[in-house]
Amino acid sequence: MKSARHGAIMAAPAAAVLAGVALVPVLAAVWLSLHRSIVVFHEHRFVGFGNFHFLLEDGRFWSALRTTAYFTIVAVAVELLIGLPVALLLHRGRGLLRAAVLLPWAIPTAVSARMWAWLFNADYGLLHRLAPRVDWLGSPWTALHAAILVDVWKTTPFVALILLAGLQSIPEDVFEAANVDGAGRARTFALVTLPLLKPAILVALLFRMLDAFRVFDAIYVLTEGGPANATETLSIYAYKTLMRSGDFGYGSTLSVATFACVLVIGVAFVRFLGKPAR
Amino acid sequence: MALVLKHQPLWGDPAPFHAFLDRFRRENPDVALRTETLPNASDVAREMFLTALEGGADDFDVFAIDVVWAPEFARAGWLADLSQAFPPAKLREEFLPSTIEAVTLDGRVYAVPWFLDVGLLYYRSDLVPRAPKTYDELRDLGRAAMERDPRLVGFLWQGRQYEGLNCNVFESIWGHGGELLENGRIALDTDAGRAGVQWLRNSITMGLSPRSVTSSGEEETRRAFQDGRAVFLRNWPYVWAEVQQPGSAVRGKVGFAPLPSISGAPGAGTLGGWQLAVNAHSSTAKRRAAERLVAFLTSREAAVELALHYSRIPARRAVYEDARVKDAAPFIAALLPIALAARPRPVTPYYELASDSIQGELSAAIVGLRPPSDALSRAQRIVDHLESSR
Repeated sequence: MKSARHGAIMAAPAAAVLAGVALVPVLAAVWLSLHRSIVVFHEHRFVGFGNFHFLLEDGRFWSALRTTAYFTIVAVAVELLIGLPVALLLHRGRGLLRAAVLLPWAIPTAVSARMWAWLFNADYGLLHRLAPRVDWLGSPWTALHAAILVDVWKTTPFVALILLAGLQSIPEDVFEAANVDGAGRARTFALVTLPLLKPAILVALLFRMLDAFRVFDAIYVLTEGGPANATETLSIYAYKTLMRSGDFGYGSTLSVATFACVLVIGVAFVRFLGKPAR
Repeated sequence: MALVLKHQPLWGDPAPFHAFLDRFRRENPDVALRTETLPNASDVAREMFLTALEGGADDFDVFAIDVVWAPEFARAGWLADLSQAFPPAKLREEFLPSTIEAVTLDGRVYAVPWFLDVGLLYYRSDLVPRAPKTYDELRDLGRAAMERDPRLVGFLWQGRQYEGLNCNVFESIWGHGGELLENGRIALDTDAGRAGVQWLRNSITMGLSPRSVTSSGEEETRRAFQDGRAVFLRNWPYVWAEVQQPGSAVRGKVGFAPLPSISGAPGAGTLGGWQLAVNAHSSTAKRRAAERLVAFLTSREAAVELALHYSRIPARRAVYEDARVKDAAPFIAALLPIALAARPRPVTPYYELASDSIQGELSAAIVGLRPPSDALSRAQRIVDHLESSR
């Protein structure tokens, strides 16, 4: 009993800091989302769930949610599909190769997004030269996939790195055992490597999905959410409403909605991860 | 008394501007004038003002605001009422009408025009015999030139989803005889509105404009035009100096004109540019000195300096007649009719709030995702919601 109280006292400072930097701002945003608050007009009044009511009917919100979900699923899936073979290669590779692969991850997102914007440029862009009939950033479908491409280029190394760490934690003797039992490469991979890699894969998925769902910088630099809001994610919509329009109430509502989505993803993964392995 | 002026960089050599400010310092020895530079991107500067002024910041006294912010900032109570020092009637006499319209809210003046910007049409004088007056003429002249040289594109404009798209569309709506304000409220879902958006969309579908305009801003289109790849370009006055530079492929082959219209009368360009306002949070003691600085910086002399050294387009009528400007900057002097016809974007405190939603819907119409009538009625719904709920 005494040690439990001791523990609580020891943990209190950390808990207070966490509450101060994480919980309070979230609660403040929730509180703000229940208001009509527009700086320029000095309007600030309580409207209850009025903003959330409008949110449900706001076509732009649903389209942003769809865009965000699509972006997240496709980008993370592709990153995983490319990241896994890259990790397998790196597992045998040397330090220099590993460092080279990490390069895109090391470049600040705003810088790499600007670089890609030039590659996609409809007049001078290299990609435009290769496929002159495609206007990458000019039409809704290609613009969204261009954004996904940039994200994949940038964060695949990160996924590969996590998977590499997972690979290195698998003891060599299980592979030897599989070899002795006469399993081929494909069977070894499917029945030994993949199951043992599952925790690392889930961690990579969790990190990447939370990150991708809040994507802002790459898309903002690339298209500012255009054309026709086709690349507008929840974060960009919230930012524009908050900072451009100065509508703090509805902007907070959008942020709270984004937070709720991220929370659901996070909790689902943690429950999944927390399950004891069979 | 310390006075702080906050403004965007003027580009070019800062020396002439500072020399000019020194003249103010000599004439007003009681004032210790300091300048601070704003971020160059207009929306970043706006965010900065939004947070600073909402927080009651009084560490700057005179500041430059974009033409579309004046009604909003005035309504917020952030701008000092300047009507006493600058009577509206006198301003209307001395400045171009649209620039005064843009800084007036309910008959009171909240800022004084510093310099302006206006949309206009550039054309290749070696490829077409004259500037087009109507949209049909623009199409026909463009097509004829494209037939002679298939590498050319006809008409470049700015269709990326950003504020510039609004400017281009508004010009087209005005050109089709439309108005954007009805009884003080933003009106987009009108016959002229639909016709205006449809024309820009058509320019792409008929092959007159390349599809890349839907992702282009000012600089992308300026570069393509300057490389000699286009017949017509809608852009701002800064392009003139660029295309006349020694390395330019179209040097000496460019003319400029008002934008076309459906009737053939000179079309109106969107008014841009910067105004000088006085911070409402500045102390009353500083107010007089701040007004003196505004008067000094918006004087005829100042406008001549800005025109000669920084190619800034004057907001004062008399400057266009000034011998020095006519002599050293004939392009600016010749801009007078276009500047006179410039029109502000809807002068309402709600414009900035609505602009972002409008951009999204206009972009949807331009890329062909929705027919213009759908896009405009959706934009109208959002605008109505914003305006009615408060």
